[in-house]
Amino acid sequence: MPTALAALEEAYARSGAPAGNRPDGRAPVVGYVGSDLPVELLTAAGVHALRLTGDPGSGSAPGDRYLGRGVDPAARSVLTRLLDGSFGELDRVVVSHDCEASLRLFYALRELGRVEPGAGLPEAYLVDLRHLPHRTTTRYNRRRLGEFAARLETWTGRALDLAGAVAAHDERRRLLAAAAELRRTVPARLTGRQFLAVVNAALPVAEHVALLRRLLAEAGRLEEHPGRRVFLSGSDHDTPHVYEAVESEGQVIVGEDHSFGDLAVEGPVGAGGLDALAEHHHRGGPAAHRATAGERAAYAAAAVRRCRAELFVAYCRAGDEAPAWDFPAQRAALDIPAVLLERQEYGRVDLAALRKEHPCPM
Amino acid sequence: MSDVRTPGSTSRGVKSLATAAEAGAHQREWFADLRRRVAAGEPFALLNADVPHEIFRTMDIPYAVGQWWASLVAAKQRSGHYLELVRRRGYPDYSEQYNAVTLGAAFDPEPEAGPWGGLPRPDIIVGDASGDVTRKIFDLWGREPGVIFYPLESAAENEVPVNWWELMPHRWEQAVGPARLDLLTAELENLVRFLETTTGRRFSETRFREVLALVNEQEEWNRKARDLIARARPAPLGVVDSIPSVMLPQWHRGTEWARDIARRFYEEVRERVDSGHAACPGERARLMWIGRGLWYDMGFYQRFQEEYGAVFVWSMYLAVAADGYLRYGDDPMRALAARFAAFSDQLYTPPWSSEWYVKEARLHGIDGVVHLVSDDPRGSYFTARALEAAGFPVIEIHADNVDTRTFGDDVAAQVGRWLEDVVLT
Repeated sequence: MPTALAALEEAYARSGAPAGNRPDGRAPVVGYVGSDLPVELLTAAGVHALRLTGDPGSGSAPGDRYLGRGVDPAARSVLTRLLDGSFGELDRVVVSHDCEASLRLFYALRELGRVEPGAGLPEAYLVDLRHLPHRTTTRYNRRRLGEFAARLETWTGRALDLAGAVAAHDERRRLLAAAAELRRTVPARLTGRQFLAVVNAALPVAEHVALLRRLLAEAGRLEEHPGRRVFLSGSDHDTPHVYEAVESEGQVIVGEDHSFGDLAVEGPVGAGGLDALAEHHHRGGPAAHRATAGERAAYAAAAVRRCRAELFVAYCRAGDEAPAWDFPAQRAALDIPAVLLERQEYGRVDLAALRKEHPCPM
Repeated sequence: MSDVRTPGSTSRGVKSLATAAEAGAHQREWFADLRRRVAAGEPFALLNADVPHEIFRTMDIPYAVGQWWASLVAAKQRSGHYLELVRRRGYPDYSEQYNAVTLGAAFDPEPEAGPWGGLPRPDIIVGDASGDVTRKIFDLWGREPGVIFYPLESAAENEVPVNWWELMPHRWEQAVGPARLDLLTAELENLVRFLETTTGRRFSETRFREVLALVNEQEEWNRKARDLIARARPAPLGVVDSIPSVMLPQWHRGTEWARDIARRFYEEVRERVDSGHAACPGERARLMWIGRGLWYDMGFYQRFQEEYGAVFVWSMYLAVAADGYLRYGDDPMRALAARFAAFSDQLYTPPWSSEWYVKEARLHGIDGVVHLVSDDPRGSYFTARALEAAGFPVIEIHADNVDTRTFGDDVAAQVGRWLEDVVLT
């Protein structure tokens, strides 16, 4: 029997791949995009949910054409993969308004469906959750969640099991939070690349929870990773490429502030139904696209201390400019060296710049 | 060699309308008065273009528009200076320059050396939280001493009726949708309370209705002018005249002066049409400019007239004044919310934007479309696709409208070749 970590890594390798045989042969397959998409509702509806991710290793010309090169290349890659069928047969695509690239992706899907129906894209639906810290926004989000829940019931023809879904996701978050501590220990017991796999393994919630429990039970057998401890700030990483590159230089990423890493662990929702779910996703974590520079700097200072990072790397993808605006406040809030890597290519990192600024003692 | 092929040159464009000159003169006098009022201790607000200025007009709180200021800076060839100030603070100088240029004013050690004596330090900033960066920029400004940033949400809708320009004046509830209207209406009610508290000014419902009525009157005159220009052959004026005649009053909407100059602009256009005046004698091609104004090189728009007989008859500024602002209804705050809850969708989100551009191109008898595509997420594919599918040739030029560094030396030559090879064949 493989270790839980190996099983999670194997499931992570399947993320973004076609759903394959539908688990029950009937449940709709829903692809989704966006860090604040209320996945609890997808679980509650009993659909097979697949988070759509890009692929820096394959071309993105169709996505570039439809979205333009000013949009985050990760979104352009997702659109390209939707167009070429990389995700298999999807019944729907649900997109949240977590950032401008996601919104533009939704608009492109909606418009392609209208003017180029031959493209064969699934129908797109927008879950427009916003993030200003005000009651007006909370009420708006609650309304949008209610609309989404009703739409899911229409799609599936059955009532949602929201309480059960929230409990399952809260348990997953609780276990992920424990797994995050494994990476924060000194030396780390998980690499950043491994933590990405632990968080983003393409598994139904129940299977994910079972593997996480095994992972924690097997924690004593995990390897130690003594490299220089790096906090990775900035753009989302929907693939492991940048993590692998940074960690190949003798460093270990022990924390981050994007939605495929530590920010996915924020929680729990608790009881309270749609109201509590709306508040959870309204609050969210301080991702670069919805938080102010001040909020991001405060989070960075606390997170760096918590994970005992030695180097702060702000990674900003070309076409994803929001994180670059955070860096001066972050640097001022930190008491460790900080480096800004701007306008990075999707899936790549300028290691030469990193080495020049902060050579790693191998 | 003709002027068209001269690389790297910029010019301001030659205005010929009396209303354009009057608007420019008024703007200078208004700004001088604004500086006096602020120096005397009145509150000063800096507002983004797509937020409800009408509330500030109602409460007589002096304000300036960020995009207007950025256009002035660019026209003075000073955007590089302000972007450098942004860069020196460690912020990106390649990101959302339209707002970053204005932020640079906050970092200027010699603000009085800025255009027209410099932008006063704002007490209040209001902007919408659109995109990933706008809120960050204004929030950073809001961290400066004495400055408060009041953000408004930027919400989106799943399904929208395509024909927004027909629905907006009276059936805006149907066009925008109740969720976004409820949100922005609530935010605006809160904004009024915030302004009453922080400035001590009172909000009069009677005055508010007067302001909204003046705005609708102004935009109705703009609508009549747009319709007149669309039908007239030859074109009675180009965009170098229509932009200042429309946009400077737009920043003063809700005043009698703005309403009256909009009427005089219409009358001036009417006189030109009646007398057969041609902006471009020997007119051979009517061009449409899609995108923000090329503020650092307004002469670009007249550069193709003499050699090619090509005149820019259309920009979004008059057209969106004609179609994008009118809102009638018994609930003034909700009607005002309807003006702005989806304003940028009208210009940048398909199907609204793309279908509207096609409608406007048909209305104006356009022969070719020059589309300014900035390196930002708004994209261009669906705009170009819709226009080309409707039979309008499109050339895309890639540049930022306030950052001269992004404007290629060969853009005018590219457009010239496109006119020769595509539009005039």
